[in-house]
Amino acid sequence: MTVISILGFILIIIGLWGMLTQKNIIKMIIGFSIIDTGLHLVIVSIGFIKGRTAPIISKAVEGLDTGKNFIDPVPSALVLTAIVIGLAITALMLVYAVKLFRFKRSLQIEDFEELKW
Amino acid sequence: MVNPIYIFITSLGAAFLLNLFQKINRKIADLIFFLTLAVINYISLFWFYQLLQGYEAAKIYTAGFLPPYSINLYLGIEEAVFLVLINLLGFFSAVYLYKKFREISIKAMILYLVLIMGLNGLVMTRDLFNLFVFLEITSITTYALISLEDNKYSLTAGFKFIIAGGLVSTLFLIGTIYLYRLGGSLNLDFLVNSGVLNTKAGILATFLLVFALLIELKPFPANGWALDVYQSVHPGIAAIIASASSAAIFFVIYKFIPLMPSSFLPLLAGIGGVTFVFSNLMGLKQTDARRLLGYSSIAQMGLLLAALALIMQFDNLQSLSSIIVIIGGLFINHFLAKAGLFWLAGIVQKRNIRSWKIIANNPPLLLVFGGFILALIGLPPFPGFWAKWELVMQLSANNMMVWVWIILAGSLLEAVYLFRWFGYAVKNTEVEEIRTEAAQYLPVLIFLLGLLYLGMEGTHLVSGADSIYVLPVLLGVILYVLNWLPNKLKGSLCLLAVIYFSYRLLPALQDIYQLFGVVFLIGSAVLLITTFARKDIFKGFYPLLIIMILSLGNLLQAKTSLQFFLSWEFITITSYLLILRGKFSLKAALIYITFSLAGAYLILAGMGLAFRDTGVVSLAGLASIVNSGYIYVLLGLGFLIKIGIVGFHVWLPGAYTEAEDDFTPFLSAVLSKMGIFGLIMLAILLGEPVLKGIQLNYILGWLGVLTAFFGALLAAFQEDIKKLLAYSSLGQLGYIVLALAIHSHLGWVTSIYLTFTHLLFKGILFVAVAGLLSRVKTRKMYEMGGLINNMPLTFISVLIAIIALSGVPPLSGFGGKWLLYSSLLEKGWYLQAGLAFFASTIAFLYCYRILHSVFLGQPKTALRDVKEPSVWYIVPQYLFLFGIMAISMYPNLILKPVMSAVSTYFASSIYWEDYTVISSLGYWNGNAVMMVTMGVFMIPLLWLLFRIKAVTKVKQFNIVYAAERPDRPETTHYAHNFFAHYQKALGFLARPKVTEFWGNIAEVIHSVGALFRQLYTGNGQTYAIHILIFLLISYFILGVK
Repeated sequence: MTVISILGFILIIIGLWGMLTQKNIIKMIIGFSIIDTGLHLVIVSIGFIKGRTAPIISKAVEGLDTGKNFIDPVPSALVLTAIVIGLAITALMLVYAVKLFRFKRSLQIEDFEELKW
Repeated sequence: MVNPIYIFITSLGAAFLLNLFQKINRKIADLIFFLTLAVINYISLFWFYQLLQGYEAAKIYTAGFLPPYSINLYLGIEEAVFLVLINLLGFFSAVYLYKKFREISIKAMILYLVLIMGLNGLVMTRDLFNLFVFLEITSITTYALISLEDNKYSLTAGFKFIIAGGLVSTLFLIGTIYLYRLGGSLNLDFLVNSGVLNTKAGILATFLLVFALLIELKPFPANGWALDVYQSVHPGIAAIIASASSAAIFFVIYKFIPLMPSSFLPLLAGIGGVTFVFSNLMGLKQTDARRLLGYSSIAQMGLLLAALALIMQFDNLQSLSSIIVIIGGLFINHFLAKAGLFWLAGIVQKRNIRSWKIIANNPPLLLVFGGFILALIGLPPFPGFWAKWELVMQLSANNMMVWVWIILAGSLLEAVYLFRWFGYAVKNTEVEEIRTEAAQYLPVLIFLLGLLYLGMEGTHLVSGADSIYVLPVLLGVILYVLNWLPNKLKGSLCLLAVIYFSYRLLPALQDIYQLFGVVFLIGSAVLLITTFARKDIFKGFYPLLIIMILSLGNLLQAKTSLQFFLSWEFITITSYLLILRGKFSLKAALIYITFSLAGAYLILAGMGLAFRDTGVVSLAGLASIVNSGYIYVLLGLGFLIKIGIVGFHVWLPGAYTEAEDDFTPFLSAVLSKMGIFGLIMLAILLGEPVLKGIQLNYILGWLGVLTAFFGALLAAFQEDIKKLLAYSSLGQLGYIVLALAIHSHLGWVTSIYLTFTHLLFKGILFVAVAGLLSRVKTRKMYEMGGLINNMPLTFISVLIAIIALSGVPPLSGFGGKWLLYSSLLEKGWYLQAGLAFFASTIAFLYCYRILHSVFLGQPKTALRDVKEPSVWYIVPQYLFLFGIMAISMYPNLILKPVMSAVSTYFASSIYWEDYTVISSLGYWNGNAVMMVTMGVFMIPLLWLLFRIKAVTKVKQFNIVYAAERPDRPETTHYAHNFFAHYQKALGFLARPKVTEFWGNIAEVIHSVGALFRQLYTGNGQTYAIHILIFLLISYFILGVK
């Protein structure tokens, strides 16, 4: 466990806490965003190897054995996708928030409990 | 060879282009949309066909690298099946949604294409991260499509869904990234071999991954959001979520099984089982049709998960075909039926299940609805039936009886709410019409036909099945198509079919089986004549009736327990639907089907035990079981419930009374004997089993005599003539069971003899009552009276039948009583004999009451001009009457064949001298008794005729009220509350204690369901907490440390 991944998990827990305790829908979405950020940190930290450089082939690394000097490129690639997806979901959540607000003039999650049982 | 990758290329390409084409012409865009769906259907069907022919599975590598350096896809036969189904549903749901799509912008179509593509990807990909991407693609498009219905409810549901989905993807990603860290790969196949599971962290990562997927399957109780979604989204989208998305996720879980440690499987099975039972329990209280479908959908996916996890745990993995039958059957059954039902919900447009009665105006829709309901419950001829059968057999064979009970209990709960819903739909009182469009109607119909076809195919896959046993359904369908024919012609066709079937079947049957064949088939043939009196147009009556009658015949020739059970279920369903045709039979029919199904499930469980002990499904195999007490109890109880033995008789009076008048004779005279046949068959195969030192036949005997006693007692206090006869029928069946339990030659002869005579006199009585009620519009006896002059023919047949029933000389009933007491005394069951005798005296009371209240006494003003019922009611009565007279005069006509049949199993203890039958206790000469009684009868008759001038005619109401002021006119008639004095003495025995007992049980079960569904508070945040708690509890149960 690196410091970054621990930090990431702390962020995930903070975000989760926010999502589960905040009654305001916008605040819940912010909670979700924090979870996402923490998650991305965790993913990146998995691929990090101390003392190595970013997996970008450029003039600076010419001649070096990339296998031994690069960090693991896969998590970096994954995190890009994850960020995009997280963005899409956050955007969609906000759209929902706007639409919900138009119906009820409220952003409190308890105001949307008509469907139950 | 079309590379499956084109599924993604075409759908993504089309999705991008749609917007462009829409700018040119919306029609072209629509065409491209459907063409794309058609193309991906073609690709998946093509591959399915190729793989079936034995071609190698498709392995698709991307980016020119081999895995694990690239994402790879795999398309084998299992994948192909799922793809074909998902894409078919995708196409038809699009057809269904077309109108909605037209109303909103092209974006909905784009989203829809991407959703279907995502589902294809979920099925094919072997890469964890790619799986995550497809998971998110399907989730995001679903979130967006949910907002198609732009209302408050779908938006709230969608938001709750996003919160849950967000949690799921977080868990999934953490699991994925750590599996990558520990296993060094994202490829499923490489991970399986990487030894990642040897570490605790690896197991934890797998756990997170699997449980993220599991949440997507909506397990109880972490599924509140899903219910809201099902309830509020457009039914076309709900069909996709319930069937296609669930299918894809289920398949992903299936793909993950090799990666899971074996300790996961029991937990998965447990979660599935709990979900199945609890969802169905809570469904009991649901009145919103779509939410109800949601509960049912969640339950079915739970069952599927449990079945999969259980099969994987079997010590000896069964043959491939039985796995295909179980998983494939359950899956396809739910897939087609649930999608169809959601579509139907959109067509009907009614939220409350009580409002579904408008569907009754539209017979094709009603038929489709009924088909889907039967399929969901797992009744024949649909795939779910075979799957449940095979599942119960294999679970029993692997000693998992607890699971058998869990699955049967859940199924029963589901059957109750689905049949309740169906009942509301049948009872039409509205004039409102349903507007149907071909585009919406067609997909529903195609899916039902698919279900039927696959169900019929099931006969080839399941061992012990035979397509002969589903043939009655075919005949029923033909009759349904011929609905436009006049009723009498349809009835005659039915009659011909039954006669031809008897002609083919009866000679092939042996001894006792043949005798029951006569009861079932010839009895039904005679009763069929009654139905010729019908005038109105009635759909479905003859088709159901013919399926029922032919299945009764099939019951007798069944060689395997599956054939027996299949026919048994056919009879149960058809008789339920026929009872449901009665005007006010809603409640009675529901109680009937609930008890019948409970009984059927007991039989199924018993057959599972037998399969465990013998390893074969042949009925003859039962005879080889040594320790057969449990099997006897389960099967026997199932049969006794069908008979309506005391304690389980609560369904009987309602069903008999509320069924249509010309169907009740079938119930009493013919159908009630199938339980008797079952018991005899059981006794032939198992003998007299003992369970924990208790002679089971002794208990059976007491149950029989108590039924006889309470049946007679309750009959005596009824005002309703059909109810009276219903209880009387119950009492008579009690005698038959009692005689059967004696388990001796004389006992069985008595039992079968009583079966025959009961058919004859109850046939007469119920047909006579049907005729009576066709003229008199009340069932209350005190509102009738003096009908002897109006319907003399009916009176004579009822009189004879009642003499036969009460067991006084000279008619056949006397012989029955003589045989019964002889056999009881021979066995030494004196106490039982005494109680049986007492019950017979009570029988006199109610017999007298029918005669007196209906035919004698003062005529009612309103009924002065009533005429004899139509000839179609008279003919069957006199056919039966002829039978009674014949066997009363010449008892050997019936006793000889019965005795010879029974002597196959017991040494004979009675013998014949001319017309005299002699037992160890005495003799009976039916002919002589007849002559003597006739003589005794003739003398007073002649005397009375001689004195006829002394009779004074009395006008109606010419009586004196002895210090009592009558509040209503009919209370002056002492036919009202006829046996008030006996009621004072014995009424406490006739209180509806048993009905209260079962009522309380139903109440408690419903309350528990109501209690649990309080979990679903409607708060999205609470649902998220449910998911976390569910995860933690599962984790602790697993005990991963």
